[in-house]
Amino acid sequence: MKRIALLVMLMLALTVSAAFAETLTVNIWDNNQRAGIQQICDEWSATSGIDVKVDVIDWDNYWTLLSAGASGGTLPDVFWMHSNTAQMYMDYDLLLDLTDYVAADDAINLDDYYQGIVDLYTRDSDGKVFALPKDHDTIALLWNKAIFDQYGVEYPTDNWTWEDMYEAAKQITEKSEGNVYGMAMNTSNNQDGWYNLIYDYGGNVVSDTHDSTAIDSEGAKAGMEMMRKLLTVGAPQTVVAETGTENLFKSAKTAMISQGSWMINNFYTAENHEDYFWALLPYADVNGNGQADDGERWSCYNGLGWAAAFNTANPDAAYSLISWLCAKEQQIKQAELGVTMAGMPGVSEAFANAFPGMDISAFLAAEDFNLYMRPYTKMTTVWEDPIQQAGGFLDAWQNPEDPAIMEKACDNAAAIIRDAIAQGY
Amino acid sequence: MKEPSLKKMTAAEKTEAKWAWAFIAPTMIGLIVLNFYPAVNTVWQSFFKSDPFGRGGKFVWFDNYKTVLAASETWQSLWNTIKYAIIEVPFGVVIALILAVFLNKKLKGTSAFRTIFFLPMVCAPAAVAMVWKWLYNQQFGLLNNVFHTNIAWISDPKIAWISVGVIGVWSVIGYNMVLFISGLQEIPGDYYEAAAIDGATGIRQFFHITVPLLSPTTFFIVQTRLIGALTIFDLMFMVMDKTNIALKSVQSIVYVFYTYAFTQNNKGYGATVVIVLVAFIMIVTFFMQKLEKKMVFYN
Repeated sequence: MKRIALLVMLMLALTVSAAFAETLTVNIWDNNQRAGIQQICDEWSATSGIDVKVDVIDWDNYWTLLSAGASGGTLPDVFWMHSNTAQMYMDYDLLLDLTDYVAADDAINLDDYYQGIVDLYTRDSDGKVFALPKDHDTIALLWNKAIFDQYGVEYPTDNWTWEDMYEAAKQITEKSEGNVYGMAMNTSNNQDGWYNLIYDYGGNVVSDTHDSTAIDSEGAKAGMEMMRKLLTVGAPQTVVAETGTENLFKSAKTAMISQGSWMINNFYTAENHEDYFWALLPYADVNGNGQADDGERWSCYNGLGWAAAFNTANPDAAYSLISWLCAKEQQIKQAELGVTMAGMPGVSEAFANAFPGMDISAFLAAEDFNLYMRPYTKMTTVWEDPIQQAGGFLDAWQNPEDPAIMEKACDNAAAIIRDAIAQGY
Repeated sequence: MKEPSLKKMTAAEKTEAKWAWAFIAPTMIGLIVLNFYPAVNTVWQSFFKSDPFGRGGKFVWFDNYKTVLAASETWQSLWNTIKYAIIEVPFGVVIALILAVFLNKKLKGTSAFRTIFFLPMVCAPAAVAMVWKWLYNQQFGLLNNVFHTNIAWISDPKIAWISVGVIGVWSVIGYNMVLFISGLQEIPGDYYEAAAIDGATGIRQFFHITVPLLSPTTFFIVQTRLIGALTIFDLMFMVMDKTNIALKSVQSIVYVFYTYAFTQNNKGYGATVVIVLVAFIMIVTFFMQKLEKKMVFYN
């Protein structure tokens, strides 16, 4: 009996010491960023004496694990938040309230960051802050020079309209006799794809106040009509869904895809990366004057937030790490290391130089035009997936020849979003 | 007969009882924590409009049930699941049985073949699904390249359910086969010798000796595989993209549960979908038990 008691005490002692050990657990979902994040965290460890363990969990499992951890009270100490789910976590007080910390912190001034991202992580009802902006991303057009050369098509320029992109895609698809697709886009390429056309033509997916949609407005329908035209000269949806646009592009089966800045490293490290070039996302010349005016070229932007668990054992250390990661110096460092662009404007120039041999300035140039925050509501996934599937835009993607189906899809999508908002999602 | 109460037990019996409890405790605790509690909790949650993290929520009586039973999606996905079972169970059983009969003979290299056929069982289901996903790929897939076809194996709603079913059959054959082989080895060789002397051919022996005497094993396999097939999820989830046009006509009912419970964080609704599936499996099992009395031959 004595021996058992001793063993129990020993185990207890171990558990207790583990709980008080100076280690913070950090969860992220992007393996491309792990090394850079770990490096910045290690520098924090050197000043604070607290170790940081960065774990990568892929996107889908990340949210399953995080919500399970939230239910069971076992969240990681510090982790990423995303616009799809942030509102939900904030509403249920699962994130550490950072308001007082921020107020007392000289290194952090919320006015320095992209306002849309700050708003995203601020609770509407009481103005409390639950996460600090980690980064922001923009969208650009990725094209394969070798394919343009092979079929003698003029290269994309930073002054391209969507019509120009259509013409080029059409030439490539026709000249290659369908062997290579001029462009490829799936219904799931929303933020990095068709959302942008909707905004270019004057529509929106979710309003700035996150409580209505204009996805069935005249502008949105004009944008999606342009999208439909592009699809008629692009890869069929079944091919895109089975293979994925990145794989089609990397295997030189498609000449153009649109991509977000978080994907740069993926293409930078690809086999034929010397053929890959980035251009500004095309614009919609709505007024027909031959140049991109205000409101004619939009890029979606989104920003992750660094948040801490509401019940973290060491809230002071957790905030100290978040503050470190979001302070100007580390934001610049993050850009220099090529992890991502910063969560504050004006410090991302270093990011352009993080990929020697590849010109990624298009992502920074996009910021000189209009940016809109990734559309979100309280629970974005409730409508975001259905509008990409049958009964939503998938119907139109399947039948790009018929404009009526695309128009109907816009109406259906609007109904899905309105229904979700009405239900409090 | 009265159960011996703890008071009337002798000291030795008490010690024995304590040890008995101690020995079954690990299993009991495991079952209660990992099976019973979640099962009861699922039923409980199906009556709630729960918050996104599955805590508390509002008691809504049968509202979730009304919505689930009224949704065409529920019935479509249940039908998809049945279609999957119709492929996986019969083909998985028949092919495994034939292989088992051959591999039960004393031939060269049987153990090598047994290993090969059993291999799919050792692979992680997710890995199996990933490999098949690329075999089926319309653009780059091995199947279309070998047969010089251009078939959308997993994107054409008319054939995608068969393609997914084939993966299911392929993955369970090895397991079923091993069970059949052990069943075959229980059948006394005398029967076959007697039948051979009476001039019965191999085929006749198979249908008149092997099949009836193997029926308990067959029944066990059918029963367990049926439940396995009705709760299928990983194949559809791994093989088909969210934006696959055939998804709606292939997704299983557990897939629908996953979508609601984990993508949309509507735990109450998800729980209800699962209860509907449980009810369906209970009905199927009830009929299977009836069938057992008629069809299964226990000597």
